[in-house]
Amino acid sequence: MVVEDDASLNRALVEFLTEEKFEIESALDGEKGLELAASAKPDLILLDIVLPKKDGYEVLEALKKDEKTKRIPVILLTNLESQEDIMKAFEKGASTYLVKANYKLEEIVKKIKETLRIK
Amino acid sequence: MRIINDFNLKKQAEELGVSVWRTPSFLFIVMGVSIIIIMTAVYHLSKFYSSPEMVVWAEAFVTIILFTLGNLIIQEVEQMAKLNKMKTEFISVASHQLRTPIAAVRWQVELLLSKFGEGLTEKQKEKLENIDVMSSKMKRLVNDLLDVARIDQGKLILKKEKFDLAEIVKNEVKEVESLAKSKQIKIYFSSRKKIPAMSGDPDKIKIAVENLISNAIKYTLEKGRIKIGVSADENNLNFSIEDTGVGIPEKQQKMVFKKFFRSSNIARYQTEGTGLGLYIAKSIIEQSGGKIWFVSQENVGTTFSFSLPLKGSAE
Repeated sequence: MVVEDDASLNRALVEFLTEEKFEIESALDGEKGLELAASAKPDLILLDIVLPKKDGYEVLEALKKDEKTKRIPVILLTNLESQEDIMKAFEKGASTYLVKANYKLEEIVKKIKETLRIK
Repeated sequence: MRIINDFNLKKQAEELGVSVWRTPSFLFIVMGVSIIIIMTAVYHLSKFYSSPEMVVWAEAFVTIILFTLGNLIIQEVEQMAKLNKMKTEFISVASHQLRTPIAAVRWQVELLLSKFGEGLTEKQKEKLENIDVMSSKMKRLVNDLLDVARIDQGKLILKKEKFDLAEIVKNEVKEVESLAKSKQIKIYFSSRKKIPAMSGDPDKIKIAVENLISNAIKYTLEKGRIKIGVSADENNLNFSIEDTGVGIPEKQQKMVFKKFFRSSNIARYQTEGTGLGLYIAKSIIEQSGGKIWFVSQENVGTTFSFSLPLKGSAE
């Protein structure tokens, strides 16, 4: 599942992952993302940090508190990169933290596959 | 004026971006000179008026002067510090904002080339690959600017992980293989057998190594030779990269690690480059507890080296 507020980035992720034979749901804001996670119960969530309605950290916290979603691995996909952001992400339970501009789509898929294999 | 030159006031004024009369050094001089003048005046006046009130007035006068000038100096310094902070924050914010469109462009091109490339002519693919290369460059520039902003704010934080320097260098050499081949530059890499793992930030060290290798290639004209070596002694890991490039003119050698510096002899051949690579590399190496230095001769070549401590490294 992808939670990303920029429509172009959101679509690019969905398109690429669909071509890679993943079944993919997507949301454009934090609140929708949480609802979708609870109902669709994805195997993995790609989560942006800067989101309208609820930001990535709030979503991550809520996901980890909910029995239904706390075991879903979350990869934070964002363009923020300060030490505080990264530490906060891992403290709240993210599996990995990737900077969008630094990763090509196929590298993100590689990370997804790595994370799912470990799980 | 000679005084202006002796105290390098002009240089300070240029560096700080203010007029000479507002540099802290000049204001200090004014303060010192004022005190001397007043004390001398008081001394002479005291010969005519021997009253304790004279002394009190004189001291009060001096104190007022000191406070006023001192205040001026502090205000100037505060203003400069604020401006500096604003500039760094601006670079941070602008660079972050640039990251989203850069990611968007890279991903769309990747989609076109890898998943929706059916029916693309060779020429069209070539154009797309060109866009891909350029947007990669944009990404690197943005990352460089962010690193520089972080270094300037003292926020460059290094992880502490075990890593193998030889592995990092080997991977970097592989990455630049095709670029070197296109310039017919031969790269030789040798590392002693047992290089101990060291504790530090592999991602940042990778950046430093990347910058040094890419410089060597950039500043070596066609058909040159680059020799890279990694070794270890009792206390340190050592890295060196020797090229047969254009070298750095002696007069400019002390500027080499400064931000945005690019030596004049290469600007003739290559207009590309930000001049940030070595500034970043030096900050990373030094913050990791190491040392970086170079030896260079114009038209002969340059050798850059750095050493990283094996024990108790990163701060």
